[in-house]
Amino acid sequence: MAMKSASKPRAPLVPMGKKRCDDPRIDYKDLTYITKFMTPQAQIQSRRRTSFCAQCQRQLKQAVKRARHVGLLPFVG
Amino acid sequence: MNQYEGMFLLDNQVVRADYKAAKTVVLDVLKKHGGQVVTARRWDERRLAYPIKGRLRATYILTHFEAGPDAITGIRHDAELDERILRYLFLAVEGVPPTEIELSAAEGDDFAPPPPPADDAVDREESVEGGLPTQDGDIPEEDSVGEDGPVNLDDEEDA
Repeated sequence: MAMKSASKPRAPLVPMGKKRCDDPRIDYKDLTYITKFMTPQAQIQSRRRTSFCAQCQRQLKQAVKRARHVGLLPFVG
Repeated sequence: MNQYEGMFLLDNQVVRADYKAAKTVVLDVLKKHGGQVVTARRWDERRLAYPIKGRLRATYILTHFEAGPDAITGIRHDAELDERILRYLFLAVEGVPPTEIELSAAEGDDFAPPPPPADDAVDREESVEGGLPTQDGDIPEEDSVGEDGPVNLDDEEDA
């Protein structure tokens, strides 16, 4: 039985080698930087869009959640 | 002793009355549990993304302090009980950024922040009980819609 092949992985929106992993500015107080990686509905954008490595994406996630906790960012935009 | 960064949201009514006393509220909580305050400054006064304890605006106090690992529990407990502290956030950090030390030193003892605008009280029930008119200045439309909802329901029940 031939399994249906999975769809091809989508190419990243930012070309490979353009990752921002060495950017140390992921801080919950730096709202102008954080909001660049959020949708207008205040959702965190995916790694495909942010072009972050896994570690930086986790830092972004944590920073957004901290900013939401102290009322700097909305939970729902 | 560990290094911590603490962000406190203070009630604007307290800040409007006396900023120095408001800052002391935070420092007292930290010192009570053996925390050594390295820096403490007014980070900002801004509109909240969502109402916290019926407030639409708050003053942010950013602190860096050293405390033992057991002290944070007590500090959290006291901050939770204090009604003047709307919310808090503690982070364990590696060190204090040099810019933070400069900014905190620049604030000084005689620092007087600009008075926050008077549209931070949005809780309708409080204003009705206190007999105070609501501030119609910058209250967003969505809040006024929410306030009208229960009033209409009450009218229908009475009829």
